[in-house]
Amino acid sequence: MDFNEMKTIWNLQNNQPLYSINEQALYERIQQKKQQAFHITQISELLLIIVNLGCGCFIASINKSSISLYLLAAWMLVSGLYILISRIRRIQGNKRFDRSIQGDMEHALSVATYQVHISILGRWNIVPIGILVLFSLLESDKPIWIAVVLFIFLALVHYATGWEHTLYKTRKRELETLQNQLKTNTPSDIQTH
Amino acid sequence: MTEKEHKHIFEIWLKQYKGVIFKVVRAYAFNIMDQEDLFQEIVIQVWHSVPAFRQESAVTTWIYRIALNIAIKWVRKERKHNQTQTLDQTNISESVLLESNPKTDDRLDWLYEQISRLDAIDRSLALLLLDDFSYKEMAGIVGITESNVGVRINRIKKQLITKVKNDYGL
Repeated sequence: MDFNEMKTIWNLQNNQPLYSINEQALYERIQQKKQQAFHITQISELLLIIVNLGCGCFIASINKSSISLYLLAAWMLVSGLYILISRIRRIQGNKRFDRSIQGDMEHALSVATYQVHISILGRWNIVPIGILVLFSLLESDKPIWIAVVLFIFLALVHYATGWEHTLYKTRKRELETLQNQLKTNTPSDIQTH
Repeated sequence: MTEKEHKHIFEIWLKQYKGVIFKVVRAYAFNIMDQEDLFQEIVIQVWHSVPAFRQESAVTTWIYRIALNIAIKWVRKERKHNQTQTLDQTNISESVLLESNPKTDDRLDWLYEQISRLDAIDRSLALLLLDDFSYKEMAGIVGITESNVGVRINRIKKQLITKVKNDYGL
């Protein structure tokens, strides 16, 4: 066998499917990713709702005269309510998807997309909250170093939530990859078990 | 580029160049779970690369470059973290990819086995050589000089011919 013959043998595989998709395993993978996305989304939502509504109520109740703190309380209450409404809409939207493998995939993707949306909202929500907190500190006669420390802390939180957002985007992309595996395999390629 | 265009191009690429990715996967990963893992990593990177494609090279060259880069990195990573398993893998008993085995030629299996014994760079060159890439294209994809490609290719060819003589007595 010379090198040209090796090339001929090599080219034989161009017309053969090297792999097929194990649909059962793919379905299990989708289910698992869907459960992961659900679980993380539930926790994120509940945390954001509790923290925003809780802090909003608390600040409103203890505040005596600071306009910044009233604004902060209002902002946090609105944010909490927005996430609560989003959660209700998301749960109602679950009925849209059928129980086929494609339906489950679309459902998982919609949850992942929602998670990405919520994480970016949470990330940028730190900015107005941070500004209002800093204003309220400046309104009171607190030393400037407290504001500086708080600013650094908020900047770190903003950075950390960016990392979290990237993680959710990656998860969503993994699901999109699986979806494309489903789409790009014709029925003849797919092998069920 | 809109999200829709991005998705559309990605789907077309995956449909048309899946074979290229499978060749790279088979040359760099040797059990089905590893092959699946590498396949996923390459596909994700292909997705990322869609907006960056400027049509200065053929899509095949572009996909090959991505796939080989990821495969080489993956081999290094696997060597470091040989025992680690992702959360996904621990709970999944079955692999998504199944080898089709439509009566593959024994000589093709032999060829893959020989390629897998080469070092990471030579493995890339062997794949590109068998897929008729020019020395210039190979140099661009692998990131070495054309003359270095020539030297390595000669050595690979000699190794393969010697192995054929030993294994097949030809």
